[in-house]
Amino acid sequence: MRGGRLRDALVLAALALYAAPFFWQALTSVRPDAELLPLASLLPGRLTAVHYEVVLAKSLMPRALLNSLGVALISTALAVGLGALAGYALVRLPVPGRGPILLAMIAATAFPQIATVSPLYLLMRTLGLRDTWLALILANASFALPLVIWLLGGFIREIPRALEEAAATDGADRIATLYWVILPLVAPGAASAALLAFLFSWNEFLFAYSFTATEASRTVPVALALFPGVFEVPWGDIAAASLLASLPPVLIVVGFQRYLVRGLLAGALRE
Amino acid sequence: MASPRCDTSSRRSAADVTDRRLGWLLLAPALLLLGGLTVYPAIWVIWLSLQYRVPVFGIARWAGAAHYAFLTVDSRFWNAAGVTALFTVASVALESILGLAMALALRGQQRGRRVAVALLLLAWALPSVVTAKMFEWLYHPSGGLVNFLLGGRAVNWLGDPALALPSLVLADVWRTTPFVALLCYARLLTIPAELYEAAEVDGAAGVQAFARITWPLVRPILLVALLFRTLDALRAFDIMFVLTGGGPAGSTETLTVYAYRALFQTLQIGFGSAIGVVVFVLVMLVAWAYLRLINRQEAAA
Amino acid sequence: MAPRPARAALLVAGLLLALLAAGCGQGPSGAGPITLVFKHAKILGPADPVPGLLRRFEAEHPGVRVQSEALTWSSDEQHQFYVINLEGGSPPFDVMMLDVIWVPEFARAGWILDLTAQVPPAECDAHFASAIEPATQDGRLWALPWFMNVGLLYYRKDLLAKYGLAPPETYDELARQVRLIQAGERDPRLDGYLWQGKQYEGGMVNVLEALWANGTRVIDERGRPFPEPERAREALAALRGLIESGVSPPWVTAADEELTRRPFGDGRAIFLRGWPYALDLFELPDSRVRQRVGVAPMPRLAHGPVGAASTGGAHLAVSARTRHPALAVELVRFLTSDVAQRAMTEGAALRPSRPALYHDAQLIARDPTLPALLPLILRGHPRPITPYYLMLSTTLQPEFSAVLVGRKSPARAVQDGIAQVRHLEQALGR
Repeated sequence: MRGGRLRDALVLAALALYAAPFFWQALTSVRPDAELLPLASLLPGRLTAVHYEVVLAKSLMPRALLNSLGVALISTALAVGLGALAGYALVRLPVPGRGPILLAMIAATAFPQIATVSPLYLLMRTLGLRDTWLALILANASFALPLVIWLLGGFIREIPRALEEAAATDGADRIATLYWVILPLVAPGAASAALLAFLFSWNEFLFAYSFTATEASRTVPVALALFPGVFEVPWGDIAAASLLASLPPVLIVVGFQRYLVRGLLAGALRE
Repeated sequence: MASPRCDTSSRRSAADVTDRRLGWLLLAPALLLLGGLTVYPAIWVIWLSLQYRVPVFGIARWAGAAHYAFLTVDSRFWNAAGVTALFTVASVALESILGLAMALALRGQQRGRRVAVALLLLAWALPSVVTAKMFEWLYHPSGGLVNFLLGGRAVNWLGDPALALPSLVLADVWRTTPFVALLCYARLLTIPAELYEAAEVDGAAGVQAFARITWPLVRPILLVALLFRTLDALRAFDIMFVLTGGGPAGSTETLTVYAYRALFQTLQIGFGSAIGVVVFVLVMLVAWAYLRLINRQEAAA
Repeated sequence: MAPRPARAALLVAGLLLALLAAGCGQGPSGAGPITLVFKHAKILGPADPVPGLLRRFEAEHPGVRVQSEALTWSSDEQHQFYVINLEGGSPPFDVMMLDVIWVPEFARAGWILDLTAQVPPAECDAHFASAIEPATQDGRLWALPWFMNVGLLYYRKDLLAKYGLAPPETYDELARQVRLIQAGERDPRLDGYLWQGKQYEGGMVNVLEALWANGTRVIDERGRPFPEPERAREALAALRGLIESGVSPPWVTAADEELTRRPFGDGRAIFLRGWPYALDLFELPDSRVRQRVGVAPMPRLAHGPVGAASTGGAHLAVSARTRHPALAVELVRFLTSDVAQRAMTEGAALRPSRPALYHDAQLIARDPTLPALLPLILRGHPRPITPYYLMLSTTLQPEFSAVLVGRKSPARAVQDGIAQVRHLEQALGR
């Protein structure tokens, strides 16, 4: 309204300052070791790529990135796939016990991971699924499912029944309607749900830490938390690894902001 | 709900049955996954908490309420409960104030909205382990930016038991405020400008406008945000585990970290499950209390 | 309406395939000549003697390959790695290097082989008793000692000599000497006594040594915690007192071995509690404290003996699931033999677990401190020998840490420690 451009610029500057920790970490990742401890000046005297070299060539991060990517993509596909079907069923079909099921799902979003980690640990151990992608995919998808169903159910409910009825009068059965009418319309919502599920899986730490033992099966958060240092902590290398670990989240925030925001708001605002 | 028509009644009930069957079919995979990996473990953990279970040594026998009885007199448990409560209250309070302030500042933004939201959401989207490592470096006594900006004083943020919890809270607030800010911001955008213009005509501006127009409209969404954030703070694990490990000397050891150490460090699956169940019950109680509050607010409105 | 269900089916099939592929974990590649996998932490020092020793073993056993695999550096991570792999059923290694405190635990859990039949008593007697004892459980031998450690009091020979002081025998004397030297040197960067007070196994060792120095223990033969609570309280108060009085800087409560070794090695401390490996680093050509470091037994408190230090070190054990038990045991006996330990002492900053080697002229020529270390090792003793030692340690560490940091009184910590250990023992059925 008033003070226009200057005010806008100040707000942007303030927000850039808010995100400063991240930028500082990025700077640390290109600062040479000699200038890290103790810190003598804000700007480094010279830039170096050695930390990234170490992380990419000698550390577990590349393998961890692959693990995280695989687990996140598959668990997202699973959660959104199953969630879309379940959301449609709960919202549009006369499933008996619909109310209690919905209630149970909402309650499930509040389950603390620390409570379910011990039985899940025993389960994975018994099934021999430790150190596998499958264990993490199932755990992540299951954890994301209630929210995804909640979101997609809401989006599906917004689709006018008239469209479905029109398809029905055209002779389409439920499944065809689902496939041809509902899914395309809910695709943007599904994208939002998928982004949230992906972010959750990418960032997930507790299950990944508890279900994996070997170095080769670690995901990114675990590899970062257990980043090795023989004598001293390699802060520059850790910063570089952190930046790599942040690539997908940053990409999503910058490139798919609209869907992300929509998903976040829908998740919170839906009554 | 279609009105009954006598001639289609039999066909409708057949369609109903097919629909119901389809409904179950579509629901089944999701229910199976949820049932197996979320609901079943939630019940199983209660069963585990009533046992002495140390898998490494093959110990598995009934304990009854022994673990819970011990927790009532366990000073480490009460310390963890206190830390959890302090952490939650401080975090959520700071986030709400800061988040609302950010939303208010963003409301009038005309240019660079996308950049603004991107900068804001960056903190929220980063993995908590990344945030923890980031702040561990920022708080470093000799290499950290914080001490550098304070003129080179070697304050031991994460090693001093008096400073560790506030430092942790700050890191968590940084990470989660954007969520609250975004929710409030979205709500603020839906408030029509005419309301404020009308208020100005009536002679109310600034703080009064906030109190009379903004606050009543943003309060419900703030409550919802608080609900999510409180539950998240009670369950938080990653950031304190990686940033301080619960130290120094348990000054940042929340119930979740205590449960984790009991489970995977001392390998007491039964005892660790009992602490997990306590967190579970706590979270459910708080959720129930919040929902009642929200419902009452809505009824009053 | 033809190909829609087909496309959906393809999608589902693709997803299922992905899930199946994901279900396959990492599998070790087998086949070829007999391969023994030897899991151990990287040996530090001027020259890593292990590869040479392994090639010798291979030469003496044609058709056998020994594959060396490194462990992570952190002791806790090593333990977690072992537990998870050994629990899982088919561990991908045959011979493993274990911290001595894990041997009873692994033995009780059935993860390592009983070596009693294959190791003659004479061979056991050739090692330190304090190294064989912790590897014995229920009267059987489960691992052989590979190298030895003992807690030492390092001191600056030059500074003590300058003020006419002999190495302190009590903690009070140590404190007095620190104050005297600091007043005389007037160097604000000169710390007094550095030790490991961080909340980890190393911190536990430091506290145990203080307890022993006051003639008490953390647990008795029957498993009762803190049998002499008053003495335990005194010992904890003494450690906290070191920090409160400034004899030790406050950051020792977050310090591990390396964080304390470096300042001492830079000449910025008078006393250091450390392991023998540090001595080699202090005597490096470019070390600032070269020729100025002495070792002494750990001081005592009111009720205990001088030199109540913790012994430690690594042992070698054989996985119970190995497919080549006889060969694996032979490898263990070879690596712990006189010949191998001699090579390790020469090539690395390690001390042998065989007392005889401490009188060996050839080794002494290379490392003159060996004879001085022998009595110190003989005075030390191992940490509580129980399969539940780690559980005990991780249960008590927070209590001790709270005292060191000043968050809890020593009396309270002992009280809470007793309650915690009793609860632990309830779970263990003792």
